[in-house]
Amino acid sequence: VSPAADPAVISPQDPTLLIGSSLVATCTVSADFPLKAEDLYWTLNGRRLPAASYTALGPSTLSVALARLNGSRQQSGDNLVCHSRDGGILAGSCLYVGLPPEKPVNISCWSKNMKDLTCKWAPGTEGETFLHTNYTLKYKRRWYGQDNTCQEYHTAGTYSCHIPEDLALFTPYEIWVEASNRLGVAVSDVVMLDILDVVTTDPPSDVHVSRVGDLEDQLSVRWSSPPALKDFLFQAKYQIQYRVEDSSEWKVVDDVGNQTSCRLAGLRPGTVYFVQVRCNPFSIYGSKKAGIWSDWSNPTAASTPRSERVACDPKGGEQNTTLRRELKQFFGWVKKHAYGCSNLGIKLYDQWRVWLQKSHKTRNQVGKEP
Amino acid sequence: SPTGDSWGIFTFLCAALCNLPALPALNCSEELGAGQSIQQTYDLTRYLEHQLRTLAGTYLNYLGPPFNEPDFNPPRLARAERVPSATVDLDLWRGLTDNARLAANYRAYSRLLCYLRVLDGQVGTAELRHRLAHFCASLQGLVLSIGGVMSSLGYPLPAGPAGPPAPPGMHAAPNDFLKKMDDFWLLKELQTWLWRSAKDFNRLKKKVPPAVVTLRLEARGF
Repeated sequence: VSPAADPAVISPQDPTLLIGSSLVATCTVSADFPLKAEDLYWTLNGRRLPAASYTALGPSTLSVALARLNGSRQQSGDNLVCHSRDGGILAGSCLYVGLPPEKPVNISCWSKNMKDLTCKWAPGTEGETFLHTNYTLKYKRRWYGQDNTCQEYHTAGTYSCHIPEDLALFTPYEIWVEASNRLGVAVSDVVMLDILDVVTTDPPSDVHVSRVGDLEDQLSVRWSSPPALKDFLFQAKYQIQYRVEDSSEWKVVDDVGNQTSCRLAGLRPGTVYFVQVRCNPFSIYGSKKAGIWSDWSNPTAASTPRSERVACDPKGGEQNTTLRRELKQFFGWVKKHAYGCSNLGIKLYDQWRVWLQKSHKTRNQVGKEP
Repeated sequence: SPTGDSWGIFTFLCAALCNLPALPALNCSEELGAGQSIQQTYDLTRYLEHQLRTLAGTYLNYLGPPFNEPDFNPPRLARAERVPSATVDLDLWRGLTDNARLAANYRAYSRLLCYLRVLDGQVGTAELRHRLAHFCASLQGLVLSIGGVMSSLGYPLPAGPAGPPAPPGMHAAPNDFLKKMDDFWLLKELQTWLWRSAKDFNRLKKKVPPAVVTLRLEARGF
């Protein structure tokens, strides 16, 4: 038979407290229940609290004193429970113990093709782990009073927000982040920016990497400027990075300037390279400020040619085995038919090849020309 | 020659009957028997049961001890019994008609889904919200699957509220601790229902005839 009323009432119910504070809570058994203060005990997060901290305040009211509270074990609140002697739960109260939030910091924003604005920030160090903290990004045009609130959160990580509308150009915006939890609110410093100062764009499209004729140490890279910004007067600068197929070390070419093609030199022959290009739309509408680098384009692969006339290392070369076989046959014939040429043999040929390889290795290092 | 033609037709028909999926030229339609949907529904309840174990573990840890202790068994306090109970008298359960059995499952999961969705809106951590959303999607699939079985057996779907049966404010827990208890019992009932459904669908599997495959051969100029 389920009782009509709750068996007991705890006070305070679901309080919010500062770390280190003390609390006295009371459990009052309702009149319908035949329980006395001495039949009760307390637990906090499942652990029984010492009877020494209890005080009977009335025939059916038991209090407990909690001193110097630590931050909440879980964000849903610490579970303070009043039990009857047999362990049954009579009532409970969730304690929210923590610190007020700290000012969010390091706000940085970028606009993709001047069509939107995404900002990210970092939380202030403390207070955020014990209590759930809500972040709100706000913005307004500098001389027009209305505050706006960003709605789309977590687009670029946990502490980020995306403003999808077309924001006004040539006008400064004020942007800030408010952090709030049960214990209070903290507002970040205001960041002032003009959309034109934080423009980024898509990576260059149509990146093509091709050989330069028969040249073994060069590759030609061509790309198109990102189409989204073509209507705006801007200069772009580009950066290229490339690496050998089985290496994780990228080489960066920094001084590409405004061109949409570049030649990579000093490369290793017969090697596969991965190449990426990115774009920085600086000088939009003549502003001299640097823009923000786009993402790198998807890697494009290409290989440098390998000349057939040069003797290669023994691991490669099918033509070696054919050549070698023919030479062997020749020397065999020579031995049979040309007395006095017995010094000529396949062994001599092999030694010559080893010598040739050694001298070739030193000539083949990337970037070095003999 | 005529004999050759009829031999050809005969061979073709034999091949058709033996190798149905391999002949694209054959137009055949297969009606999924209720038996197959019952099996699928059964499989779905087992999958959800497995998913629930992880979800419940994470959620109860979020609620904190004693909710995540294995022997935790709080009283179901004097509040409106809003979550439909799976436990039922054994003889009553055995005696249920197929329609009643299916309807009970359909109604229970529809209600449970509503309550879970409300939970989804309130819960704190991003990870939990993500898990809950995933579970709700699967549970929605189960409701639809049960509906499909009922339709294929010719039973009408139980009329019922699409949303929570009463305005959310009415049954909302008066304090945070009682809300935690409600959440605990919601998960418990969900678990019990999934156990029971497995038995319900097992029973139904035995009673409903196996899948009937109808074959329509279109004569192609023979």
